[in-house]
Amino acid sequence: MEVQPELASGEVRHLQRCINDLVSLLALPAIWSGGDPSQVLHTLLDALMRMLRLDLVSVRLTDLAGEAPVEIVRIAEQRGPMPPVHEICDALSQCLENDSRQWPPLLRNFMGDGDVSIVPLPLGPQGELGVIVAAAERTDFPRQTEALLLSVAANQASIGLQEARLLSDQKRVASELDQRVALRTAELAAVNEELKKELAERRVMEEKLGQEERELKRSEVRKAAIVDSALDCIVTIDHEGCITEFNPAAERTFGYSRDDVLGRPLANVIIPLSLREKHRQGFAQYLATGEARVLGKRIEMTAVRADGSEFPVELAITRIPLEGPPSFTGYLRDITERKRAEHELRRSEAFLAEAQHISRIGSFSWRIATDEIIWSEQLYRIFQIDRDAQVTFELIATRIHPEDLSAFQEHIERSRRDRTDVQLEFRLKMPDGTVKYVHVAAHIRSDHGRVEYFGAVQDVTERRASEEALSKARSELSHVARVTSLGVLTASVAHEVNQPLSGIVTNASTCLRMLAADPPNVEGARETARRTIRDGNRASEVISRLRSLYGKKDPTIESVDLNEATREVVALSLSELQRNRILVQQELADGLPLVAGDRVQLQQVILNLLRNASDAMSTIDDRPRDLLIRTESDDNDQVRLSVKDVGIGFEPQATDKLFEAFYTTKNEGMGIGLSVSRSIIERHHGRLWAMPNNGPGVTFSFSIPCRAESSTSDSTHAGRIPPVPDAA
Amino acid sequence: MELRQVRRATERPLVSVVDDDESVRESLPDLLGEFGFAARAFSSAEEFLASDCVDQTRCLILDVAMPGMSGPDLQQELKLTRREIPIVFITASREATIRPQVLAQGAIECLFKPFSDTALLEAVNSALRSK
Repeated sequence: MEVQPELASGEVRHLQRCINDLVSLLALPAIWSGGDPSQVLHTLLDALMRMLRLDLVSVRLTDLAGEAPVEIVRIAEQRGPMPPVHEICDALSQCLENDSRQWPPLLRNFMGDGDVSIVPLPLGPQGELGVIVAAAERTDFPRQTEALLLSVAANQASIGLQEARLLSDQKRVASELDQRVALRTAELAAVNEELKKELAERRVMEEKLGQEERELKRSEVRKAAIVDSALDCIVTIDHEGCITEFNPAAERTFGYSRDDVLGRPLANVIIPLSLREKHRQGFAQYLATGEARVLGKRIEMTAVRADGSEFPVELAITRIPLEGPPSFTGYLRDITERKRAEHELRRSEAFLAEAQHISRIGSFSWRIATDEIIWSEQLYRIFQIDRDAQVTFELIATRIHPEDLSAFQEHIERSRRDRTDVQLEFRLKMPDGTVKYVHVAAHIRSDHGRVEYFGAVQDVTERRASEEALSKARSELSHVARVTSLGVLTASVAHEVNQPLSGIVTNASTCLRMLAADPPNVEGARETARRTIRDGNRASEVISRLRSLYGKKDPTIESVDLNEATREVVALSLSELQRNRILVQQELADGLPLVAGDRVQLQQVILNLLRNASDAMSTIDDRPRDLLIRTESDDNDQVRLSVKDVGIGFEPQATDKLFEAFYTTKNEGMGIGLSVSRSIIERHHGRLWAMPNNGPGVTFSFSIPCRAESSTSDSTHAGRIPPVPDAA
Repeated sequence: MELRQVRRATERPLVSVVDDDESVRESLPDLLGEFGFAARAFSSAEEFLASDCVDQTRCLILDVAMPGMSGPDLQQELKLTRREIPIVFITASREATIRPQVLAQGAIECLFKPFSDTALLEAVNSALRSK
């Protein structure tokens, strides 16, 4: 190798500066850690201006939902006062097309100020984050080293922006989750309060119903006593309305002795003051015209006792068929008790209706032989059918959701035939299009050949709605888990990339020093240059693995080689595992069939299981922290992956709880991993379970079907009306 | 000639490198050699402790995260046995808590990989001056 010392030392100085600039750029993410996107861009642009003697550098970030568009410009000081940012941006976008790949290398007469060379630097793997434009009037711009620095800078900025966005995304999701949890908690508290109130109301109502029953019984006994012991009160009057007879029952009822009232006008004795005038008029009219509204009829009126108290009586008056001036007999019966019982009955019916209204339960009876159907008021309300309508199956059918109708009718026919108790759930569709979910439970009763169903219909729409809200919350959790595990990945990836970068920088520095020595150590330089290339390849492998993990955002179904997926996850998390002194062993079956699924989601599950195993062994010091990850195919066209640790394990009774959201045996962390993992695996038609080992520790496994299975979706509605014969 | 080399070798202060990453063990000693130091590399803290270099080491360049005994573990061990070698930590992690933690325990510097040759030289020099 020929060496021209002066040229070489100049070139070496230049390269040394380039390497120092590179290191500065590489150190930027450490400064950015925790910052926001605009902070990332400001420091980057400052660094580029300083390093490259640029005349102008600008950045434009693609608008993202929820973020203000960002445009920043730096301009060299010697160019004089800086024009407003938006003018430069406008000038730039006039000169440049949207597609940065088609930009010209030279902008002629830019802003009336001569020609500038530009270098566009797309941000993000596909330029989806935005673009940086570096510009200089120098004709030699960009030199080879400058182009390298710029592309590294763009790469660093992409990573920094991704992390900053991820961080703000995480913050946003966490705060949204907090809000949602608070909201749900408040809702639950409100529902709880309402339930308490409802319970208390029901208790009061039940007590009242019991009391009424007792009172009714008592009144029956009393009535029996009246019938047994007393005839009706019998009072006779003469044509002047004066009492001529007053029997013992009347004495008891009105509280007068017979002797006291004989000869006195009836009106003054038993008719309340307010009605006396009317009575006299009626009596006078009868005497004058022979017309009477009361004769021969049972009428109800109010009477008054000796002590002045008033009470309801039933009265029948007949004319005594004797010659001479007319005289009359009145049969009076105290109906206080009957009135009261009637009133109580009306009240208890109202209570029942109210109870049905509150609990949204309606009741019905259905006589099989005649299809005679009787509904409670609440049931009319649930079905939104006019109270006066005659209930028939044809009428009911108009309210049943069309998709559930045939199953409903089948159920009716089966009940008619089998005569067993019924439990079913189906949907109603109201005339305004709203859908209700109802649950029906009915018992069959047979009484002297009269076979009849008695049942209750409950509106469970709200319960359904909260179940759906729950499942929505669960899928949001899985989004949080995705964001979180990507965050964890980013950290371990940074470690994986920094390791070879360190080798690259050290070897390149050594190489330059060896070349600059007198005499130059060419052999040593060649060796260090060779290592630089090798470490460079290592770094780019890590980056391509990272790209494939980040590249896809939405879950998609594809053929997944579980072994390959496992190897990638292990490679990315190996350094973290090693740091925790975990000894990872892989037993991946040869010729493992492909599975159908979302590779990123499955890798998240695997990552979760690895982290769980690692965490479970973090306090183990009396034995090696062995972790075995194994794949195998089993007899039922399923592929199984298991992760075995020798950690602290768990109580056998806690197995089910492990998969509940927020349950965790760890002191820190959210503990959502397992629950979300399980829901991911179940979405792949598989299952995830945990078994204690024979020795220490636990094995977590999941199995999912091989690729062959094609999933169809018409099984979804078949399960809506589950037949539950003979339910207890 | 031979004599001069031997003498120079003994004059050159020994800088030991402990890192589980092979590319670091390969590249750092060469660079340290270019700086004029004698250098030895070890793949683990245990290997370093078992070697005969512990007492001669004037500066220890130590990785933070390693399988087995970690860098901070070795720092504690050396402290307990009163062999207080100035330590320059190096780490590929970006965890913000590591640096203040090891500095509080008496480390000279903590460099984040990748670091420049000048940053390394400065750190080693201040380690050598500290004694």
